[in-house]
Amino acid sequence: MLILFQQLLNALALGGAYSLVALGLTLVYGVMKIPNFAHGSLYMVGAYVTWALLTDFGVPYFLALGLAAVALGLLAMLLERLVFYPLRGSPGVSPMIAAIGVLFFLEACVQLIWGPDFKLLNSPVTGIITFAGLSLTGQRLLMIVASVLVMLALFYFLKRTTTGATIEAMAQNREGARLVGIPVGRVASLTFFISGALAAVAAALYAPTSLVSPSMGEIMNLKVFAIIVLGGMGSVPGAIVGAFLLAFAEIFGGVFVGANFADVVGFAVLVIVLAIRPQGLFGRTA
Amino acid sequence: MLEVRDLSVRYGVYTALHGINLQVKPGEIVVLLGANGAGKSSLFRTLSGLQRPSQGEATYDGQLLTLGRPERCVNLGVAQCPEGRLLFSQLSVEKNLRLGGYTHRRDAAGNQAELERIYQLFPVLAEKRSDPAGSLSGGQQQMVAIGRALMARPKLLLLDEPSLGLAPLVVDQVFDAVVRVNEAGVSVLLAEQNAFAALGIAHRAYVLEGGRVTIEGSRDELLHDDRVRSAYLGV
Repeated sequence: MLILFQQLLNALALGGAYSLVALGLTLVYGVMKIPNFAHGSLYMVGAYVTWALLTDFGVPYFLALGLAAVALGLLAMLLERLVFYPLRGSPGVSPMIAAIGVLFFLEACVQLIWGPDFKLLNSPVTGIITFAGLSLTGQRLLMIVASVLVMLALFYFLKRTTTGATIEAMAQNREGARLVGIPVGRVASLTFFISGALAAVAAALYAPTSLVSPSMGEIMNLKVFAIIVLGGMGSVPGAIVGAFLLAFAEIFGGVFVGANFADVVGFAVLVIVLAIRPQGLFGRTA
Repeated sequence: MLEVRDLSVRYGVYTALHGINLQVKPGEIVVLLGANGAGKSSLFRTLSGLQRPSQGEATYDGQLLTLGRPERCVNLGVAQCPEGRLLFSQLSVEKNLRLGGYTHRRDAAGNQAELERIYQLFPVLAEKRSDPAGSLSGGQQQMVAIGRALMARPKLLLLDEPSLGLAPLVVDQVFDAVVRVNEAGVSVLLAEQNAFAALGIAHRAYVLEGGRVTIEGSRDELLHDDRVRSAYLGV
């Protein structure tokens, strides 16, 4: 019984990290209607930027997290301006191919700068909290708390501010948004900024519990695409529910089936959900 | 005052508008009659900056509208309530209306006052203010769309087919509201297929056929024009 509670906490931590990455992806999909296959690489670059700030520049962890978020936000905005904006009138598959190109490009850049070796990102948040026989590393506790706080801030922004409302408005009716005078180009930039920043925050939180490598972006890509397909493409609540569902499936799959099959269980859940509900949990049939 | 001069719009090889000329003077309700595909929506899209003309121009109070920048048109006082409404269907009625006031977002008090005026114009929207816009009936959605356009505090309201798909009683309500908006000083360019109802509230009208203005005149001239009577009024 104790081990289940223990794994529950681990799943919450993992789900929090998945949520942040998936939220950025689903927001961009909602607003731009393009699946950004380069999203995982933003996460990966975010981990490297955090790592470099910590080890090469000796920046304190939380400052490094904030700086990485801003840096990746700007990188994502640049990506939108340089790659997706020029392709806005082209047929659907072109931006997807371009995004995959960006994925490989960023991965190659990171290999060139930091090499192909795995890096260990040391978080200063150490220590283990023990309560009623359950133990949780400080970093996992931080992952849970920080991801919930970031999600609450994002919800407040989307639901309670005018600028946030423009993102939802543009996702629901782009032409209607243009007619009321919303500058859709600026909203697109802002949405990309948010997606990059969220990916970097997730990376800075999650990387200390695993390893940093150039290929980590591809693995995350696969998972967050599974998550937003599961939740319904473009749906914000769907991304969060999907993220926790995948995290729980992976962690408990690891417990009951065996650690080597954790990923298999996660994707099995995806296949089953899509067989029953092809539009995803929160998706609407077009 | 809206002035459209020699305006042509092309989509690839297809020409939707061939050198249109028209005016809407301050305080007027001008009706644009025409069948599907006559070019009404192309004209409206162009006047709102969603579509660039291939030739000619449109100005409002001397300022160019046809630069392909919708936010500029809204800022100049030209707001559109589009065909098909184009609402933010999952957002609440009130949020839809508030987003209509986006260009005045620094003037919260003014937006609040405008919102109250729209709730007076369409009391049913005040009751449904928290409901998702997409859950409303067709007529109520049309009211949200008109209200959203009015939140921009336009001097000229472009209304594209507001009666489309609505029950006759609801059409009357919508047209009543248009008259009241006009009486408050907003000029209106109204595209309609429902010629009889539209001419009932119009000061002047244009008939658009195959992308060209074929007939223009005062309301009474058009009501007594044989071509209009046979083609649009069915008499």
